Amino acid sequence: MTRESVISVRNLVKRYGAIAAVDGVSFSVERGEIFGLLGPNGAGKTTTISVLSCLTSPTSGEVRVAGIDVTADSLAVRARIGVVPQEIALYPSLSARENLTFWGRMYGVPEGTLAERIDELLETVKLSDRARGRIDTFSGGMKRRVNIAAGLLHRPEVLFLDEPTVGIDPQTRRSILELVQSLNADGLTVLYTTHYLEEAEFLCTRIGIMDEGRMIAMGTRRELTESIGATQVIRIVADGLDDSLCASFRESPDISEATLVERQLSLHARVGANLLPEIVAGLSSSGVRIHSVEVDDPNLESVFLSLTGKSLRDGGSHEQGTPEEAPEEAP
Amino acid sequence: MRAHHIALKDLRIRLRDRNTLILMLLLPVALTAIIGFAFGGDSGMSAVELFVVGPGEDQMLAGAASAMLSRSEFFEAEPATEDEARRAVQAGERSAALIIPDETIEALIEGEPAEVRVLQDPASSIKAQIVRELAERVTAQLNAGSTLARGVFDALERERELGEAERWRLGGFLFQWMRDAWERPRLSIREETAETREFDVRSYFAPSFAVLFLLFTMISSAKTIHEERESGTYDRLMSAPLSRATFIGGKLLGTYLLASVQILLLIALSSVLFGIRWGSHPGAVVAMALATAAGASSLALLIASLSRTSRQTDNVGTAFVLIMSLLGGSMWPVEQAPESFQRLARFTFNYWAHSGFKSLVFNDAGLSGISQQLLVILIMSVVAFVLAARFLARR
Repeated sequence: MTRESVISVRNLVKRYGAIAAVDGVSFSVERGEIFGLLGPNGAGKTTTISVLSCLTSPTSGEVRVAGIDVTADSLAVRARIGVVPQEIALYPSLSARENLTFWGRMYGVPEGTLAERIDELLETVKLSDRARGRIDTFSGGMKRRVNIAAGLLHRPEVLFLDEPTVGIDPQTRRSILELVQSLNADGLTVLYTTHYLEEAEFLCTRIGIMDEGRMIAMGTRRELTESIGATQVIRIVADGLDDSLCASFRESPDISEATLVERQLSLHARVGANLLPEIVAGLSSSGVRIHSVEVDDPNLESVFLSLTGKSLRDGGSHEQGTPEEAPEEAP
Repeated sequence: MRAHHIALKDLRIRLRDRNTLILMLLLPVALTAIIGFAFGGDSGMSAVELFVVGPGEDQMLAGAASAMLSRSEFFEAEPATEDEARRAVQAGERSAALIIPDETIEALIEGEPAEVRVLQDPASSIKAQIVRELAERVTAQLNAGSTLARGVFDALERERELGEAERWRLGGFLFQWMRDAWERPRLSIREETAETREFDVRSYFAPSFAVLFLLFTMISSAKTIHEERESGTYDRLMSAPLSRATFIGGKLLGTYLLASVQILLLIALSSVLFGIRWGSHPGAVVAMALATAAGASSLALLIASLSRTSRQTDNVGTAFVLIMSLLGGSMWPVEQAPESFQRLARFTFNYWAHSGFKSLVFNDAGLSGISQQLLVILIMSVVAFVLAARFLARR
C-alpha cells in the first residue's frame, strides 16, 4: 500500500556562491514515518531542512511539504510544519510556560486553547512541575525537551528535528529518542537529521544517507545493509600475521575483502560467524597467536564506509581501506 | 497582532534584566544626584574664596574691602599679608588674592600711575577670572575717584592756593563722597532672568542624563535583532507563519515601549526624588517624552540595521551615543560653547530633546512652546525608521 507523501523533494540544489551545499537531492517522506537524514557534518542535512522549513529558498528543484510548493506559499507551509532547531531556540530569562505561550502565539494557536495545549505538552515532555522555571535554570536535556515542545504547539503535520541531541548525555538522549518515538506512535510524521548512526538505526523507519551535498543511499536499515552485500566483518588481533596470509584469505570465495593493518586482520564475509571456526583453526595451524576475535554485524557505518570510503564516526574525515565509488543516483 | 506579542515579549525580557534596569533608571538618577550635590542647588558654583592684601600694617583698607565683598553671596573674603596670600593660593586653599600695594593710594593721590595685582590659582581659572574682573571694577572706581579728586583740586587751585589743612579736609570730604557713591550708586544694575524659574543644576541635568541613558538603553534593546539571529530564535520565528515585516514591526514596537517606559519613569522619579518641576502642562510633558522615545528607538534601530552582529551594534552604538551627547549638550551646557559649535549641536538628537525638556522645566512651555523641538525630533524619527526598515528588509 502506497502511503501519502508528506514531503516530496526532487532534484533539490542549493548553492551559496560557487559551493553546492545540496546538489541534486531527491527523496520523499510518507505520512506517519520517521525519516532520517544521516551524514557527517557538512553533508547538507541542515541546508535541506532549511529549505523545507522555508528559511531559505532552493536554487533549483521542486520541494513540496503537505502538498504545497515551499516557494509558492511559504506561509501555508510554515503553518503546517513544526521545527526543532539544533540550537536551543528559547528565551533564557522567560519560564518554560512563558516561552511556550509566546511560541504558541507565533504559530497562531488560539488563545482559548493555548493554555491547555501547553499543559498537555509539558506533561508529554515530563516538565509539568517546572513550568514556571526559567529556561536558564534548566539542564541541557530539559532545555531540549522544551525546545521540542515548542515545535509541537500547533499540532503540525510534520516535525523537523535537526540534530536535537547534540551535546547531551546518553541517558537524556535516550529519553528524547523515546519521546520522538511516542510522538510518531500518535501519528506524527518526523524528518530527523543526525550524524549519530545509532540514533538513525534506533529511530528511523527509513534513512537517507547524505555526503557532500548528495543523497548516496536511501532505504530501510535492512535495505541499506543488503545493498552493500550485507557483509559481517571479522576482526582478529594476532601476532604472526603477514601479507601472504591476508592474500590467501582474499582467494576464498566466501570472503569478499581482507585487509591487514599492523596486528589486525579484517575479513568481510556474508555470514562471517559461520566461517569463524575454520578461520581460527587455519590461523592457529599457521603459527599465529590470536589475542582477540570480534564479529561486527553490518550497520550503517559499514554502509557509509562502503559507499564513501570514509568513516561516519570521524565526521567523514578519516578514510579506511580502499574507497569505493559512490552511486551516482540514490536508490 | 503578532507584532505586539513580540514587543511585549521583548519588554518583559528587558525589564527582568538587572543590567537594563541599572542603565535605565539607576545610573541617570545617580548621576543627577551627584551633579546636584557637587555643584550646589542654585548658581551651580560655590562662593569665590579670596584674600585681600591692603596697604599699611594695620590692614584697615583690606579689612574694609573684605567685609564689603563678603556681604555678597559670591565672595568669601578675608584680609591677609602678602606672604599668607601667596602661600594659600599656591596651596590651592584660595582661588585668588587681590593685592593693593602700599604705594597705590599715595600714587593715586599724587596722580602717579599705580596698580592693583591679582594673584590667581590656575586650577581655579573661572573663579580667578571673577576676581580679576572684580579688580578691574575696583581699579576703575579708584581711577574715577582719583581723576575726580585731581580735577577738583586743580580747579580750586586755579582760584587760590590751598593750604595743607584745607587739602586734607577737602580730600576727606571727597573720599567720603566717593565711598557713599560706591556703596549706594545712583545708577545701578538690576538683573532679570528670561526664564520663569531660577536655574537649578539638577533641573538642567536631569533631562540631559535622561536622554543620554535613554539612547544607551535603546542601543541595548535594538541589538536584540542580532541576538535573536545569533541564538537561533530568529530562525524559529521565520519558520513560523509570520512575515519579516511583522518581526521588524514587533522589534520597533518593543523598543519604543521600553523607551517610553524609561523616559516617563525618569520624569516621575526626578520629580519625587529631586523636586524637579516639569512645568504645568502635563500634555506637553507627555508629548515631549513620547516623541523623544520615538526618536531614540528609531535611531537605535538604525544603528542595529547598519551593524552585522550584536557586538558591532554595541560598539558603534556606544560611539554614536557618546559623540551625539558631547555635541548635543547632554554632558555639559552647550550654550556656553562658541556659536559655531552650537550650530553643529543642532544636528544632534540630544540637542533638540534637551532643548524641549529645558523649555518645559525653565519656561513652563506648553505644546506650542515646544512645537519646533517636537517637529524636528519626529522628522528624525521617521527618517531613521524608514532607513532602518529598508536596511533590515534587505538582510
